[in-house]
Amino acid sequence: MGQILAAATLAATPLLLAALGGLLNRRGGIVNIALEGKMLLGAILAVVVSAETGSWVAGLAAATVGSAFAGLLFSLAITRAGANEIIAGLGFNILVAGLIGYALDDEGTYQPAGVATIPRIDIPGIDAIPVLGDVLSDKDPITYLAWLAVPATAWFLASTRAGLRLRAAGAPGDSAYALGLRALAIRDASTVAAGAFAGLAGGQLALGLVGLFNQGMVAGRGFIALAAFYFGRARPWPTAGACAIFALFDAIQIRLQQEGFSTQLVSTLPYLVVVVVLTITAIQTQRREAPA
Amino acid sequence: MAAADVPAVRPGAPPGSALAGALRSVGMSLLPVAAAFVVGAVVLAVTGWDPISVYRVMAREAFGSTARVESTLAAATPLLFAGLATAIAFRGGVFNIGVDGCFVLGGLAAAWLGAALTGLPGWLLIPVCVLAGMITGAVWSAPPAFLRVRLGVDEVVSTLMLNFVAIGLASWIVNTLLLAQGTANSASSPVAPQAELPGLGGDVTLGLVIALVGVVFYGVWTRWSASGYELRMTGLNPAFAQTAGISVPRVVFQAMLWSGLVAGAGGAAHALGVVHRFVDGFSPGYGFTGIAIALLARNGAVGIVLASILFGALASAGATVQLFSDIPLDIVDVLQGTIMVFAAVQVVDLRRRIRRQAA
Amino acid sequence: MAPAIRLGAREVTRRFGGVVANDDVSLSIAPGTVHAIVGENGAGKTTLMRILYGLDRPDAGTVVVDDEPARLSGPADATRRGIGMVHQEFKLVDELTLLENLVLGHEPTRRGRIDWRRARGHAEALAGETGVALDWDLPAGRASVAVRQRLEILRLMYREADVLILDEPTAVLAPPQVAELLELLSGLRDGGRTIIFISHKLQEVLDVADTVTALRAGRVTGTVAAADADPDSLVRMMVGESVPEVRLQAREAAGAAPLLEVRGAGVRDAQGRDRLRDVSLTVHSGEVVGIAGVAGNGQDELVECVLGLRRPTAGSIVVDGADVTRSTIAQRRRHGLAYIPADRRRDGLSPTSSLLDNVAAGSQRGAELTHRGWFRRGALERRAARIVERYRVHCAGLGVPAASLSGGNQQRLILGREMEGEPRVLVASQPTRGVDVRGSAYIREQLLAVRERGGGVLLVSEELDELVALSDRIVVLARGAVTGVVSGPFEDLTELGALMTARVAV
Repeated sequence: MGQILAAATLAATPLLLAALGGLLNRRGGIVNIALEGKMLLGAILAVVVSAETGSWVAGLAAATVGSAFAGLLFSLAITRAGANEIIAGLGFNILVAGLIGYALDDEGTYQPAGVATIPRIDIPGIDAIPVLGDVLSDKDPITYLAWLAVPATAWFLASTRAGLRLRAAGAPGDSAYALGLRALAIRDASTVAAGAFAGLAGGQLALGLVGLFNQGMVAGRGFIALAAFYFGRARPWPTAGACAIFALFDAIQIRLQQEGFSTQLVSTLPYLVVVVVLTITAIQTQRREAPA
Repeated sequence: MAAADVPAVRPGAPPGSALAGALRSVGMSLLPVAAAFVVGAVVLAVTGWDPISVYRVMAREAFGSTARVESTLAAATPLLFAGLATAIAFRGGVFNIGVDGCFVLGGLAAAWLGAALTGLPGWLLIPVCVLAGMITGAVWSAPPAFLRVRLGVDEVVSTLMLNFVAIGLASWIVNTLLLAQGTANSASSPVAPQAELPGLGGDVTLGLVIALVGVVFYGVWTRWSASGYELRMTGLNPAFAQTAGISVPRVVFQAMLWSGLVAGAGGAAHALGVVHRFVDGFSPGYGFTGIAIALLARNGAVGIVLASILFGALASAGATVQLFSDIPLDIVDVLQGTIMVFAAVQVVDLRRRIRRQAA
Repeated sequence: MAPAIRLGAREVTRRFGGVVANDDVSLSIAPGTVHAIVGENGAGKTTLMRILYGLDRPDAGTVVVDDEPARLSGPADATRRGIGMVHQEFKLVDELTLLENLVLGHEPTRRGRIDWRRARGHAEALAGETGVALDWDLPAGRASVAVRQRLEILRLMYREADVLILDEPTAVLAPPQVAELLELLSGLRDGGRTIIFISHKLQEVLDVADTVTALRAGRVTGTVAAADADPDSLVRMMVGESVPEVRLQAREAAGAAPLLEVRGAGVRDAQGRDRLRDVSLTVHSGEVVGIAGVAGNGQDELVECVLGLRRPTAGSIVVDGADVTRSTIAQRRRHGLAYIPADRRRDGLSPTSSLLDNVAAGSQRGAELTHRGWFRRGALERRAARIVERYRVHCAGLGVPAASLSGGNQQRLILGREMEGEPRVLVASQPTRGVDVRGSAYIREQLLAVRERGGGVLLVSEELDELVALSDRIVVLARGAVTGVVSGPFEDLTELGALMTARVAV
């Protein structure tokens, strides 16, 4: 049991980071379908730079900055060139996967020498506690960072100027613009932030456990992160909760398989959940707008 | 878009604006392709390849001999289905990106029946399997269609999510219920020999003919039929369509169903004709390529054929080029992804217009 | 020393295409006063306000700020000069609370974060100053319209505007809320602020304004002190004294068959407000019935109910003897209903489609054009050619996109399309809006032609002249209810004007 929880907590980190990034983007008014591609980009950048420099910090920094930059290009295509965000997102995912696959020359896995992985932190005392100890202790710093990011994001949205203006820019209509806010620039910033978060998530995925890059390693996590923030209605705490649940499913899938539940079916649950949430939201909206 | 108050031209004057409009339209379709080849050239050059010679080789591998052309057409067949399915929905203003899921489930249904109903003769079994694929595809696209029409749920996210559900569902089924005896990998039993689509030379199967017939019919239907007219008007201007007496919800719902039906047929053709069974990884993203095709073709029948052949050529040439040079197949993905991003730039965001105006 | 003119216009002219929205308009607003602008729709009020706020620039003349001519570069510039505007469509972010909306863009901060306590202090102070109480934590989307409006006003004050421009502020309010608003405005004026507001409600105008300016067809027809004016004199300034030339022969009530009957139609919207109240009218064969009223008083809802775009919450619609209340638009068209929409680009045409495609709309399933669901060869071309010729639509060919036609020709196309089927009832909404003089005359002739051959016309128009020239009877709507029916010939417009602005018992 403790093992499962520990595994789940670790698995949640990249999901959580990417989901928070997607959440910020969503609040700014853009549905970011390209989290998957940005995570992939982050993963490879992290591995390459970490091997070159021997520093996992440098690797993660490269992942974050690189994906943020990609996010900027992606955003400009949407806000300035009027690209449809969904199609551009799908295209971006394919493009990034293609570029990386091309660069790897069909190797599939890239494991250079000297990749520095992220160290774990053991919290003495806590790790002795059953269950909770498995969850809290022996995690990498990025995981702890991700946890902190949840209240930080919530605070950001509610209590800072930038957060307030982000929420205003993301609302439908031109009110933000009419009030003199630079809505497009704010939206771009939120997409860049999403890129940065997703890049960090990908970097953590690569460097946190395995220390290598594999073309299939993101495995749809970008879309599950999307599912998570849809489920959480773009609010930090419910989104974090969704990530925890999805990560738990991920961790217990071997166990489930032994019990007879199929992994494939379980893997569809996050997506079904999104559809259900969308339906419920729509029903509520309809009920609210129905004539008296 | 043309200005609202251009001064009147005498009747009988040459229809300049119509021709200019057509040329502009074709140009806009070619731009993403050109951009993609430029990007591809950059990628190739950066890694030490000469783009021109690579492209020349690819062109030769795609069209250089009869065998190569057959290979291209075979690769284009599932794309024709996917592109057509997507175009039908887009034409009605519905952003259905769930074609991949319908394709997969349609293929699964056809593969299952094809392997199970071994007693039926070929001329009966094949239509039955294709029909099963069609029905499955249509049924799978019904829920998001219903959600969109009745509850106003954004079809983009719902169909995208259902894609993954479909893949997971199919994967589970092929690994449990339909798992072929004695195989370790996830594949269903092969379909009965009489269910295999007859070949037409090389890897080309009857599926190509079915697809082309479908595209031709689509072209004729949208131009010449009343219901095709209603589809077009609904996609272009839903408020106007409604005022004209067109039932926008009904048209949208039917467009989604037809889209799923065609995708399911494509899956059936693929299962019966190419793979002869159902396997995990049945669709290597045909649905998403279909989106790129529909965008490039601007939902027009001729464009769908041309774009499908283009992508088929890329896929087929890329595969063989990889055999004797070191150029990874992923260059095709690079080209395709670039096309999608550039094509997205020009798509007028119909969704927002629809949401603003539809009842 | 306070300026004599806090905000004003000097010989301002603004044209849009062939239409002169503001014609040599001069206006002076003294500080610390409430100045009202009245006039019918299309008189140029909103254009003038947009110019005063910097959203638009005059073609000739200048804006005057603090006695000096000024060029406003945009809303930000206006805000800097202390000028603020409350639009008809509120610019609030529904997802944010009232407090968040108030301070958005000018948030007080302390050490990098928003100082909510200070923000709330500001908010309470403003609320106290104006005597309103607001639930600051309510999401703006859930607040009532009156509250949202109040917030818009408070936001202007928060941004230290001393000139407040309000566009039809009472249009969205119920009478008790109107009284509160007028009190608020008076209080602001007493506190030294300058208020400019556009309104149709003449009694309210007289209640609160110090000065009133009337606009008609883009020109100023008079500026009076409110103390010297009364509703009648205002109406005369708004609609003019001249009697339009009578174009119709007086006709006895066409005792012929009723082609369109609206019986007790009522429409209640999602907020519980009655947009249409127990409206009944009949259009007989060979008759033109005009609907007069200030925009937004139920005409749109009435047209939507007749056409089938909206189901009335009460009452019924009968077309040519058949109850169509539950019928689809297509079914109503089959009964002989045709429609010329007010917004032709959105509802009347597919701008990017060819003329051929546009001509088919409404009859794409009819026997003339199709056979078993497929278009007959050449039928569409024949019909389009016929319409283009008969209605003299100037175009470069049948295949050109409809957007390439001028407004007048687009309207001719729509008119031709709708009339080709010899409709029993033609509903025309603002048929000559944005159409040049010659085109407008032609369209009016065609409407009368429908009347001549025994059809019925329901004409909704914001131009009183047009209604008066074409209608046998005019039904006046105010606040969604029928305030009166006047039969032609129409000699005096003041009766109509009074009915349009009459108080309606709620």
